[in-house]
Parts: sequence; structure tokens; C-alpha cells
Amino acid sequence: MTGAFLSGNLNVYLFVGLFLLCCGILGVIYRRTLIAMLISIELIMNGAGLNFVAFNRFVSPEGPDGMIFTLFIMGLAAAEAAIALAIIILIFRKYRSIESTEMEEMKD
Amino acid sequence: MNLGESIFILMLIITMAGALTTVLSGSIIYALIGLVATMFGIAGLYVYLNAPFLAMMQILIYVGAITILIAFAIMLAGPFYKRPKEWTGIGKFVAALVVSAISFAMFSSVIMKVSWNEGKGAFSLLTKDIGRALFDRYAFPFELISFVIVVSIIGAIMLAIFSKGEK
Repeated sequence: MTGAFLSGNLNVYLFVGLFLLCCGILGVIYRRTLIAMLISIELIMNGAGLNFVAFNRFVSPEGPDGMIFTLFIMGLAAAEAAIALAIIILIFRKYRSIESTEMEEMKD
Repeated sequence: MNLGESIFILMLIITMAGALTTVLSGSIIYALIGLVATMFGIAGLYVYLNAPFLAMMQILIYVGAITILIAFAIMLAGPFYKRPKEWTGIGKFVAALVVSAISFAMFSSVIMKVSWNEGKGAFSLLTKDIGRALFDRYAFPFELISFVIVVSIIGAIMLAIFSKGEK
């Protein structure tokens, strides 16, 4: 691709990953419910995976190491989502709420 | 501007708009739809990074599995029309904005300062190479990941079976 001046630039992908990281941090602090916090953590993981693939494409194109790490990130995200959602459903059964401000029993 | 660049810019816009919708929307189901949009945008970016297998896996795992799981959790966790809005107070929003702005400034200064030494050779990796490396150099982490997933599934089932709720 000859006219690839935006899609052939590493910094564009790095800034997209950074944007996803910042959105995820903002969501984790700002959102009210636990499920929304989990969704924000998924955003952070996707930003990290995008960075891995971009570095593999532009900096070290000899082996598929970055792609494999992104596949591992996807697997770990799936496992994390399964466990976290099971715990959230349990919290909902016990407290009748999934808001993060309600879970303060261990504070006292 | 040719067609490829236009589609790339469209993918960037989809990704960023989806991320902003995920973070700033008032309802949790809208946040989930924003997450789906973000996943599709990132899959498009993977296609531009010469990784079509990863794009397919992104759509299969994230859009197909994790998002559906989260949607079921949202539906199981009570009726959402009687739920309050997602936004917490303005003070928390300012704090979150300050934290993300500081991290953005820090990391972007690092990105702009460092020269990554890019473009050393032609990129010609196929899906075959990924499979070969998965069963050659990364065989042990691959098996370990599958073990982690099995343990997490069994743990989720045990949590669902052996827990006593309120009723």
C-alpha cells in the first residue's frame, strides 16, 4: 500500500491503545456498577493487545510473538470475565444490588 | 486519499466513539453496545496490521463470547429500568478525568520521545506461523492458558452451585 501514511504509522496505533487505556481508567473510577467496571477493564486489555500487535508488526516482524501474546490476553480475559461475572451474580443475590458503594461490609 | 485510508479512519472513529460511549453513557446496556463497537473497530485495526486471524479471534471471543456473557449477567442482575443512572458524582468525574489526563500526558510524551526503530524488514507472517509457534516455542504457555480457562469455568460453576443466596 503506497499511500498508507496513517495506517502505516506506528504512533497512530499506540495513541489508540493509549486512548483505550485512559477511557478504561476513567470508567473504572467513574462508573457506579460493578459490571460497568468490568467492561472498562476489558477496554484496558484491548488497548494492551492492540499495542502488542502493533509492535509486532512494525518493530519486530521476524516472529509472531506479539500476536501470540494477544491471543493469551484474550484467553485470560475470557477466564477473568467468567469468574468476575459469577462473583457479581453472587453479590447481587446476597445484597440485591450491584453498586460498588454498597459493598462496604469489610471496611468496618 | 484512497479507499484504504478512508476505511482506516472510519475504524479509528468507530473505536474511539465506542470507547467514549462505553465510559460515558448513562445506561449499562448502552455501555455494552459501545464495547461491541470498540471490539469491531479493533478487529478492523488488526486487519490493517496484517493479522486477519487475530481479527477473526477478536470478533469470535470478544463479541461472540464475552459480550454475550456480560449481557446475560446484566439481565440476571435485576430489571434495569428501575436502576439509577450510571453516573456518580461530579467530584468523582473530575478525579477520574485528572487521573486519565495525567496518564495520557505521561504516556504520550514517552511515545513521542522514543524512536521505536521501526520498519526494519518486510512483514510476511501468515496464520501458519502463528500455529507453528503456538505448538513449538509457546507450547507450555498454551497448555497453561487452557488449564487456567478450565479451572475458571469449574470455579464459576462451583460458585453458582454451592452458594446460598438471600432467599
